[in-house]
Amino acid sequence: MLDSPICKILGIKYPVFQGGMAWVANASLASAVSEAGGLGIIAAMNSNGEQLREEIRKCKKLTDKPFGVNIMLMSPFASEVAKVVAEEKIPVVTTGAGNPSVYMKDWTDAGIKVIPVVPSTAIAKMVEKRGAAAVIAEGGESGGHIGEIHTMALVPQVVDAVNIPVIAAGGIADGRGMAAAFMLGACGVQMGTRFLVADECTVHDNFKEKVLNAKDIDTIVTGKRLGHPCRSLKNKFSKEFFSKEYDMTVSNEELEKFGTGALRRAVVEGDIDTGSLLCGEIAGLVKERMSCKDIITSVTDECEKLLRGGAKWVK
Amino acid sequence: MKEKIISIIAEYQGKDASEITSDQTFADMGLDSLDIAELVIQIEDALNVSIEVSPELNTIDKLVEYIESK
Repeated sequence: MLDSPICKILGIKYPVFQGGMAWVANASLASAVSEAGGLGIIAAMNSNGEQLREEIRKCKKLTDKPFGVNIMLMSPFASEVAKVVAEEKIPVVTTGAGNPSVYMKDWTDAGIKVIPVVPSTAIAKMVEKRGAAAVIAEGGESGGHIGEIHTMALVPQVVDAVNIPVIAAGGIADGRGMAAAFMLGACGVQMGTRFLVADECTVHDNFKEKVLNAKDIDTIVTGKRLGHPCRSLKNKFSKEFFSKEYDMTVSNEELEKFGTGALRRAVVEGDIDTGSLLCGEIAGLVKERMSCKDIITSVTDECEKLLRGGAKWVK
Repeated sequence: MKEKIISIIAEYQGKDASEITSDQTFADMGLDSLDIAELVIQIEDALNVSIEVSPELNTIDKLVEYIESK
């Protein structure tokens, strides 16, 4: 059995978080992960307060285990959903795409454990100072919005920079990745892409098939020009976005407009040509559909076995 | 205080303090959100203050005004 301080802090069985993927991380997926002993997370993405409240209440009906909400700070409804998580007494809030400092006092006053996703040591230190319970150090291997530093380099530096638990994310999909994260000093992992193909994940089957058939070289990063780099699978949409990005006759507004609605098209409609198939570099390793329970069991069992076998490298 | 902030930013960018303009936006100075976080940590430690980062706080002048108003 793996032992990690984050399990005691959050009241979960396994130190495994499910990433707060926009349009994907809903009550169905989050409740299944929490029921399996990990930390399920609902993505607030661009929902308004009442839409998020509805999803939270759905999740509460499906599980009585702790689950979290991920708040995307770039959302026009960020301040509205920030209030809803406190009203609904959500035990854990993770944040992404911005600096959560402005909301942290209200959340910590409400007893919420705030665990921001951080792309650098400075941001990790900043949120620690403002009361973060832990941080998720997410490397650029991950899917969706990404930072510039990669997991192998980022995690140990964040571990050294702060005195709170660090969760590793980006490029982790099996027990080997999890064991490596522990060796880098993390005390848990967050996985997105692996849960994208879980049985309880309601993402369109066409999207799941694309992930299951992906190879190591099949992802691409777009959006650097707009200041919001994003990793997705290569397809008609992402290749066209990429070429428009380097076409100076295309304005930033036109580029933003081109990307609008693309994730929804992929996740909900299963449009694998003009939709945005956000997922991480580790997609090439994800070959099997499983329930969330089986995913968590197989990843943690493999991790435990590897950690126990670590002595074989020492004479 | 302003001089201290300018010297921290100048050192961070490998420039002379005279090259830093206090009404220029951080973005125009070539600083992104990661740079700003790094600088905020340094400025907080140097001046023993707490700074709530926001998009409106985008020049040295505005930062000085914000710290003085606290």
